[in-house]
Amino acid sequence: MRAYWILPNRDQRDDILASDGETILPLRQILDPKLRPEGFSHGVPTELLEKCEPKAFAEILFAQRFPRWNGDKQLFSVSTPAGTDSSGRVVHLGLLFILEPHERPRFELPYAGLSEEDQTYASALIHRMTSSGRGDSWAQSVHDLSELKSGSRPATNVALDRSVVRFYSLYVVGPGGGLTKKALHWRNPRMTAIILLILCAVVGVWLSVRACEQSSRSAVQTGVVTWRFN
Amino acid sequence: MMPMALNTFRVFLFLTSFPGAEKHFVRLVKGVLDWWSGKKIAVIGPTASGKDSFLARLQNREIPRVHSNSPMGETVKSFRVNLALSHNRAIDITCKGVINIGGETDYRDAPSGWLAVCKDSDVVFYVMTIKDLSGKKFLKGRRIRQDLDWLLTALPHLKQGVLIHILINKIDEEIVSHTDYRALAEELAKEISALDQTVKNVLHPYEAGYTGATLISMKNKQIYTRAINDVLRAVYSGFHGTAKRKRAG
Repeated sequence: MRAYWILPNRDQRDDILASDGETILPLRQILDPKLRPEGFSHGVPTELLEKCEPKAFAEILFAQRFPRWNGDKQLFSVSTPAGTDSSGRVVHLGLLFILEPHERPRFELPYAGLSEEDQTYASALIHRMTSSGRGDSWAQSVHDLSELKSGSRPATNVALDRSVVRFYSLYVVGPGGGLTKKALHWRNPRMTAIILLILCAVVGVWLSVRACEQSSRSAVQTGVVTWRFN
Repeated sequence: MMPMALNTFRVFLFLTSFPGAEKHFVRLVKGVLDWWSGKKIAVIGPTASGKDSFLARLQNREIPRVHSNSPMGETVKSFRVNLALSHNRAIDITCKGVINIGGETDYRDAPSGWLAVCKDSDVVFYVMTIKDLSGKKFLKGRRIRQDLDWLLTALPHLKQGVLIHILINKIDEEIVSHTDYRALAEELAKEISALDQTVKNVLHPYEAGYTGATLISMKNKQIYTRAINDVLRAVYSGFHGTAKRKRAG
């Protein structure tokens, strides 16, 4: 497992910075922009901020998981709003994990090398992800995403409506900014297809049996009519 | 006392009427309305240059309540731009398939980044700030120049005949920090001319698609309204010139 902080762009720099907890370097040196999967987010999507009240911003945790990235690796990231930049725009702090196929993220990355302001947000994020998470639906949703059985589709903890990529998601933002688990639905498309095929076959057999019955009955009736005319 | 915004607007009118900057303002050409209708636009530029605010202004919204550094490409619902021009004429542009994306170089260079945003566009608006202009960030090795270099590599993958227009945002901030407006106007005219030359050199052999640079303010509504009208005319005029050259040669 390799883990890095994606640092908030408070100074409106031209490139995004990252840190392994000690040294700070451009994110592009860790993760080449050309290799970033489509739909990869460097923070909390604006649509989630718009769905929540500003006072609930500190609660938001947005997580993404990209299985089968760059061969057999997987990418996992968690981000949270982390204050504002010099123009008053919301900026974000993220945790990026580059994982082996069946590895789970461990939230133990040091943050002593970050700025004082960033340390506050980093420690809060680590604390939320390592504590029991009872009553913290956002943290729970991140845990659920990390425990999700490996599939090939990219997934997020919360449903998005405006992303350029369709993500599988576990939760939706409810009114007031809380999270609600999505209703249980068919998770495995292959299984869903098999069940649908079986259902179609059963209905087909039943319809053909009925059709046979109907056609034999009408033949008798025709016969009766023909006989009468004769 | 004159309100600050109005005063800034008057100075803006003075600056844009100065020789040198004047050439960016062309007369309303017949056909501008028809040409713009249904055009697809892309908005790119460095972080905090005003892309979000430009999108908001086009949608006739105020600057977004929740203003965030855009961390990922997000689709924007289709919207109609309705702009009033002179002589009771109005313009309708349908913006479809708009993707809002961040300005850091990381987004520029990602496969689903700026290239995806610009791919099917008829007009690409590159938004920079007046500080980028006065800081000469269009010189070799600096951010604006890097973006122009990127644009040159992207152009063969974009729609044929795509037009590029530069919006120089935050002119209102420059106006309020100056008192000698004549000197400011001269300085701006010189800098815009240097920028124009750089863009034409860098974008060669696609320089005919460059329709110029316009001073604008997304924050000051009066400046925005005046400037966007000039932008629409300048872009159409650029298209007209390119088409004429094609026919002639």
